[in-house]
Amino acid sequence: MSFLALSEIKKSFGPVQVVHNFNMAIEKGEFVSFLGPSGCGKTTILRMIAGFETPSGGTIRINGVDQTTLKPNQRNIGMVFQAYALFPNMTVYENVAFGLKVAGMARADIDRRVKEMLALIHLEHLAERYPYQMSGGQQQRVALARALAVKPQVLLLDEPLSALDAKIRVSLREEIRLIQQQLGITTVFVTHDQEEALSISDRIVVMNAGRADQIGTPSDIYNRPATRFVASFVGTLNLIEATVEDPQANRIRIGEHAIQIRDSLAQSRGGDKVAVALRPEAASLQATARTDTALPGEVVASSFLGSVVRTRLNVGGNTISFDMFNDPGLTPLAAGEKVTLHFAARDLLVIRD
Amino acid sequence: MKTQKIGAWIAILFGATYFILPLIATFEFSLRMRRGEYSFDAYRSVFTDSQFQESFTYSIIMAVLTIVFGVLLIVPTAYWVRLRLPQFRPVMEFVTLLPLVIPAIVIVFGYLRLYNSSSWIPFTGSTRGTDLLLMFSFMTLSLPYMYRSVDTAMRTIDVNTLTEAAQSLGAPWRTILFRCIFPNVMSGVLSGAFITFAIVIGEFTMPSLLNRPAFGPYLQLIGANRAYEPPALAIIAFAITWFSIGILQFLSRFNKARPAKP
Ligand SMILES: Nc1ncnc2c1ncn2[C@@H]1O[C@H](COP(=O)(O)OP(=O)(O)OP(=O)(O)O)[C@@H](O)[C@H]1O
Ligand SMILES: [Mg+2]
Repeated sequence: MSFLALSEIKKSFGPVQVVHNFNMAIEKGEFVSFLGPSGCGKTTILRMIAGFETPSGGTIRINGVDQTTLKPNQRNIGMVFQAYALFPNMTVYENVAFGLKVAGMARADIDRRVKEMLALIHLEHLAERYPYQMSGGQQQRVALARALAVKPQVLLLDEPLSALDAKIRVSLREEIRLIQQQLGITTVFVTHDQEEALSISDRIVVMNAGRADQIGTPSDIYNRPATRFVASFVGTLNLIEATVEDPQANRIRIGEHAIQIRDSLAQSRGGDKVAVALRPEAASLQATARTDTALPGEVVASSFLGSVVRTRLNVGGNTISFDMFNDPGLTPLAAGEKVTLHFAARDLLVIRD
Repeated sequence: MKTQKIGAWIAILFGATYFILPLIATFEFSLRMRRGEYSFDAYRSVFTDSQFQESFTYSIIMAVLTIVFGVLLIVPTAYWVRLRLPQFRPVMEFVTLLPLVIPAIVIVFGYLRLYNSSSWIPFTGSTRGTDLLLMFSFMTLSLPYMYRSVDTAMRTIDVNTLTEAAQSLGAPWRTILFRCIFPNVMSGVLSGAFITFAIVIGEFTMPSLLNRPAFGPYLQLIGANRAYEPPALAIIAFAITWFSIGILQFLSRFNKARPAKP
């Protein structure tokens, strides 16, 4: 049985339903990210797990115990907020000790546990600092230690990194993942940054307007998006309009080129319009052993992104972006240049709405 | 730039003259009780007056009680309104401003009608009851200042998130209020307390109509009947005021709470 089980969770604010029949089973020790655009209900679900909002319907169970009607301070859940929310009147040490003190732990035990937590986040030397004397990244690590000190059953993080700058964001997310694996704590992480979700999660829930569009491993979500929304929200995607030529043989037509794809077209009929997707990194200007399809195109523009150069092509009326590794010897393609785009037909994904 | 600076100095000088000159004059006059030489006779006369000691002690005790009960009433109220009834805040602002608009004499007559010895809640039936009623009236008078300064201090912390953080760590309401909220609004509580102190010490209308031996009526009595003691009292009151400000400054130095960096 799963450790954290959300079943048929609904939530309405007045007449507006913001979460629709949400189901999710999270295993013990799993790291799950909720990924989705602003306003899709990520925070609302997290707050229902924490007990700050009451679901309009459905149940929340942790380890088989129904939590739905418990107050936040009766649940054993750790929470990390976007705005850190450290108590400004307490030192780092006192902040981490707060939950332990509330629980009535003996002073010596508190001291041991606090030191253990500060060692975990490598901030032993700042124990006597106040929150205002620390950087955002340090404050957020203290908030993490404070949440973990009470040994919660589940750790919830609501966009904990979005107030930090890019460098810290990357290093702290790796630290969070490392600590999570070290402690084996079941974790739900909310973010609207797809790279963040892809890089640290065991599984990702892609949310769209209060529903889970797809639940899967990062590679599933990226390589086999279930819906058009998931495909376009996660990573950059080229959408190409195509016509179904032979549904039985999985053959489609892009412009005047017939292409055999791997995805099933069983639900379509000949002559139907379908959208197929191609990741920018799946196409190149050179034929390789892997590629089997070539389409002629014309360069629209190319932009330098550091390690890669992303070029936009016009292929039979569709705009297709593709990535090349940066090479100091390379001359960028000029607009209007005629090129041939190579890719493997099995990388084409049929996108359903 | 240069002329701006000169302008600022002139303004400061003008303000200082406006403020300090009368003070010096008052002080000078208070020293003239003995004919032909300066002396502290007026102060001696004031300090040895048993009525001064009694009324002053009474008012200080009243001020402390008013502050304690006022803080216990207002901090939780302001907290709850911010947390759960934010749409109610304009109403709160209006209600807490009423004591500034309604003259004290109107309020106290209302009290006397409602709580006289033959009413359902006969506060004025006993001395203790009257003291209690007087304390509540002082709380009413200090409400606009106390509420505003506490509410302003509360604006500098994220009440909602701090509350949720504490709740998720298992804290009950009492702990949240006294360990997480109170210490962070201490600056507001202190400045509110200071104004309350000043109001209670000087208030005349309410204690005189409720017939309690407070400092305000005593000041009035002396002012009407003596020549040299009133300026001495004014200087004493002034010194006490500044002394309390100094204490506040000193105390707030121990208050390390500051809003965290965003
Ligand atoms: N207390 C509330 N009252 C009314 N509507 C609310 C309340 N809280 C959230 N909503 C609405 O519910 C929807 C989902 O909000 P939620 O905060 O869960 O989004 P989110 O996915 O966390 O977005 P973001 O990425 O911007 O944080 C939004 O449309 C929001 O306006
Ligand atoms: Mg959110």
